[in-house]
Amino acid sequence: MDRSFLADKDVISASRKFVCIRLATYENAEENKILAGFFSRGGVLENTVFTLLTPDGKTKLVSAGRSPVWAFGGVRGAGINAQPEVSMKKMGQTMEAIALAYPGKGKATKGSPPLPYLADLRLAMNVTAADRQPLVVVYSKSAEQRKKMEQELSKVAWSDQFIGQAQYVSASDASEFKSVKNFKATSGFVVIQPGTFGLTGEPIAVIDAKTSASKLVESLAKALDKHKPSTLTYNQHRQMGSQAGARWVSKTPNQEKEARRGGGRRPQR
Amino acid sequence: MMMVRSTLLAGAFLAATFISNAQAEVLKGAVKTENIAWYGTWKGGLAEAQRTGRPILLVSGAPQCHNVPGVW
Repeated sequence: MDRSFLADKDVISASRKFVCIRLATYENAEENKILAGFFSRGGVLENTVFTLLTPDGKTKLVSAGRSPVWAFGGVRGAGINAQPEVSMKKMGQTMEAIALAYPGKGKATKGSPPLPYLADLRLAMNVTAADRQPLVVVYSKSAEQRKKMEQELSKVAWSDQFIGQAQYVSASDASEFKSVKNFKATSGFVVIQPGTFGLTGEPIAVIDAKTSASKLVESLAKALDKHKPSTLTYNQHRQMGSQAGARWVSKTPNQEKEARRGGGRRPQR
Repeated sequence: MMMVRSTLLAGAFLAATFISNAQAEVLKGAVKTENIAWYGTWKGGLAEAQRTGRPILLVSGAPQCHNVPGVW
């Protein structure tokens, strides 16, 4: 995935006026179909997809493709993560322009944004390992308690202090934590340090489930500070993971890989 | 439809250039945010876009490389 456009300060600034959705390709058949509806070649859903959409999710506002390069120009293939300034600026400016055209409902919007959940704990550990971020699990067997916890945490998660600093997932059963070492099945906000390859994790802290938003600020900040991101380079990560036998099995077939086996070339981003 | 949208975006594009500069001034000294905040499911993100009327930035990627997880 792109680590240039999406890390650009102007793009990040403009992203606050968007709803940002990042899906894990090949992990959900329904989402695969939606992604392929925006971009696919020869009926093959490729590893990565990028586009900008209207708020109803139906209309593309820029050319869809494998990465922002397809809409804003730049480097494809090797060097994808060192994009020219002009391309990244174009993306940020285009997003600002779209935000003006679609300013949202503003104060007419009722309630606060829900937590930006990942699909499940297994995937969430992998994604947070890839992002080198901590994971916050809203864990309780009680749906009612989870709802209260979500309400408190969402007030904090979208604040300037915490936005984009952690990722979130919900869990309702202790069995979901089977890959989390040293987990004691206690309801609460479980802050997890994902393992290097995201196949395992370990709790950094468990914050009481009844903690209010105002008190969450301090306890969550302390917990997130304990997170230690991996310092491996991309190549080191791949090499060490391969040597360690770290292997991810997607929930649906990797269509791009299958297409290449059939004689196709690896497409460039 | 396409032409109308292009015209609208072109106009807004010029305005955004100035707004970005103004915002940069306002943001000086404010808490610096460094990452995009992602919804991890289509259902969750789309519901929020419909609720707020905000446009959508959509990306996808497989969190593995040659089956080694923990990397985009």
